[in-house]
Amino acid sequence: MITINNVTKKFPGNTAVSNLDLTIPDGKIFGFLGPNGAGKSTTIKMITGILPIDEGEITINGFNIASHPMEAKKIFGYVPDRPDVFLRLKGIEYLNFIGDVYDIPKDIRQEKIEYLTKSFGIYGSLSDHIQTYSHGMRQKIVISGVLLHDPDVWILDEPLSGLDPKSSYTLKEMMREHADKGNTVFFSTHVLEVVEQLCDEVAIINYGKLEFRGNMKELKEQFEAEQTLEKLFLELTSHE
Amino acid sequence: MNKTLLLARTMLKMQYSMAGKSSSEKFGIILVIIMVIPFGGMFFWFVDSLIGSMYEQLSATNNQNIILGLLFISMTFLLLFVSLASILSSFYFSEDIEGFMTYPFHPYQLMAGKAAAPFLSLYLTSGVLMVPILLFYGIHSEAGVLYYLAAFLIFIVFPIIPFTVMAVILMFFMRYANIAKNKDRTKLFAGLLTFVFVIGINIVLRLNQDTGQTAADITALIQEQDGFLKLITALIPTAYFSTKSLTDPFSLTGSSFLLIMYGLTFIAAVIFFSTGQKLYFKGVQGLTAGNKNRFNKAKITAAIKPQPLFISLIKKELKIIFRTPTFFMQCVAQSLFGPVFLIVILIFENSSGALGSIGTLLEQFEGKTSILILFIFSLLILGANPASYSSISRDGKSWSFNLHMPMRSTTVVYSKVVTAWLINLLSLILLAAVGIFMAKLPLVLLVIWIVLSLMASWFTSLVGTIFDLHSPKLNWTDEQEIFKARIIGLIALLLELGTFGIMVFLLWHLDTVNGIWAAALVLGGFLALVIGLCHFILHKTIHRHFQRS
Repeated sequence: MITINNVTKKFPGNTAVSNLDLTIPDGKIFGFLGPNGAGKSTTIKMITGILPIDEGEITINGFNIASHPMEAKKIFGYVPDRPDVFLRLKGIEYLNFIGDVYDIPKDIRQEKIEYLTKSFGIYGSLSDHIQTYSHGMRQKIVISGVLLHDPDVWILDEPLSGLDPKSSYTLKEMMREHADKGNTVFFSTHVLEVVEQLCDEVAIINYGKLEFRGNMKELKEQFEAEQTLEKLFLELTSHE
Repeated sequence: MNKTLLLARTMLKMQYSMAGKSSSEKFGIILVIIMVIPFGGMFFWFVDSLIGSMYEQLSATNNQNIILGLLFISMTFLLLFVSLASILSSFYFSEDIEGFMTYPFHPYQLMAGKAAAPFLSLYLTSGVLMVPILLFYGIHSEAGVLYYLAAFLIFIVFPIIPFTVMAVILMFFMRYANIAKNKDRTKLFAGLLTFVFVIGINIVLRLNQDTGQTAADITALIQEQDGFLKLITALIPTAYFSTKSLTDPFSLTGSSFLLIMYGLTFIAAVIFFSTGQKLYFKGVQGLTAGNKNRFNKAKITAAIKPQPLFISLIKKELKIIFRTPTFFMQCVAQSLFGPVFLIVILIFENSSGALGSIGTLLEQFEGKTSILILFIFSLLILGANPASYSSISRDGKSWSFNLHMPMRSTTVVYSKVVTAWLINLLSLILLAAVGIFMAKLPLVLLVIWIVLSLMASWFTSLVGTIFDLHSPKLNWTDEQEIFKARIIGLIALLLELGTFGIMVFLLWHLDTVNGIWAAALVLGGFLALVIGLCHFILHKTIHRHFQRS
């Protein structure tokens, strides 16, 4: 479970996130929506410890990311919006490095690397440098790295962008399976069809403020029942 | 023409813009400018006395223009070397070229744009050395206005020919490097090959000069009008032409040589643009595309092996440095260039028996003096340490990876300090080899020197990393930006040389500290002290940086 408690983040001349209160429960796929520049990535960067929190606190399975960063970071796996990490390493070197970061035993490491990379169809490219990978392949190697240590909490920033239909399907299946086991899956996206299809709950953020939080049914109830998600989204985020 | 200027302006702006620079870095630039004033004064005083005494000696035999000849010869080598590094980085390793290639520009227009940054370095280099020397030569020879005008005209065109020669050579190399399978590796190889080429030219010139000139021959040459000048400038005609045009700028000969220089420069420019038009795109197309390795399951399985995180981080850093052409050239090749160059020169000088006597020469000094000389020498070679002041910045946008992964900040930062130290170790091993096998240093002196150098290298690795962690450049689009237009490398070097310069100066003059052991103990103690201080500052900086980012 992720708890965001009254969190504010300010940059010079701009409040990116303002008094955000949000709880992402276990056992559900939680979608995080908002237009460009709404504060989604800033929120995710604060959850993962990349950006410091100005006010409020964030806990992951009870561990405060600011005061107990090591404990909190061991629990989650994070897929960033840009998969361009360590491009001069080979795929296998990158995954082995992640294995060292999380102290994964050799036999489990071998088994999981083979399973994950075969699922995403990149096993045959593991001895190539990540620089030679396409955007989608880079996304897949990063996702494989994140899932390697089997984290309880998944935090994914635009995870499906660049993936081919088969890999996108595989990842969505994995997300569903993980949530069904009682774990947390929190992801941001722009693709509204994915939200409709996959999410148990959604939160919509705009200008750094929470505009809506609830399940799809509640979302549609709050507005006119037969609207598409696209219309709801536009309606929610269009006001100043 | 407008488009070419637009390209040059845009490219320069991208490399040297102050935008995004932290206020501390801007303050650093001001600090360097302030520090340059006293150093500049000392430099001018030194050049003045050097030129003055050389002029006095040489004018006795009417050979004073040798000063100009030597200046132009050394400038040619220096400019060739500066061109090599800056052409490679600007023309070939900087991958922003792919962004420009989609626009309707001719290759020659892109080349002209790309040449702007290298030319800036060339004029800066020649400005620092040529201007004061030409100026003081003019003063000592009591030259008229026409001399200064001719000197200015020579200053303008002189860097163009070395630049063109190097650019054309590199264009041929890179044209073929680019069709190779592993592009990164071949780019590195082509770069290194050209380093070897520069060293090779030097050797050829040296061998050429040492072909048994007897004292009588030399005397005859000195007596002959311009004989000595012709001898030393034999392989570099532009040095001869430039010297001649400045020796007597009023005469017809002088102005003819000036005209020849301009004519040659024009031809060089034509060759540069026409070669570029033909070869440049072939050298850069598919620059970022990589090769695919043959899949081998056994190799994949073998590659999966747990190791301590600290070791894993160091290996990752080293792999990235050795596989990224820009990082390799800046952090490894350039720092090795000094020691390698030294070895090559020494090997060839050795035939005259000069080198073997270094050990004996040092033995004649008092123990304290020899260790101080050697220590300052290794600090000069190891001090720059670009691997340290690029420690954090090299990660670029991948830096956030270190922040969201469960790794202790000290583990991450110290893995980078160790990496910088290990890279310096390569230079140190080469220097030690020179000390052992070629200079035949006494054992005690050698051991003390190596231990002190290892400590000094740790100190420079710490200082560079502290500076980089304090104001890292992470938002680069091209690896070059980490090394160009950043002042921290210079500040770190000045700080290191300043600290130890004062220490060595004091030790040198302190009569109470005598003998090699006492000097080594004081130096070692001082090193330990500053290293301890640096560890303290690094911990503070890590704490502050990881809190705020």
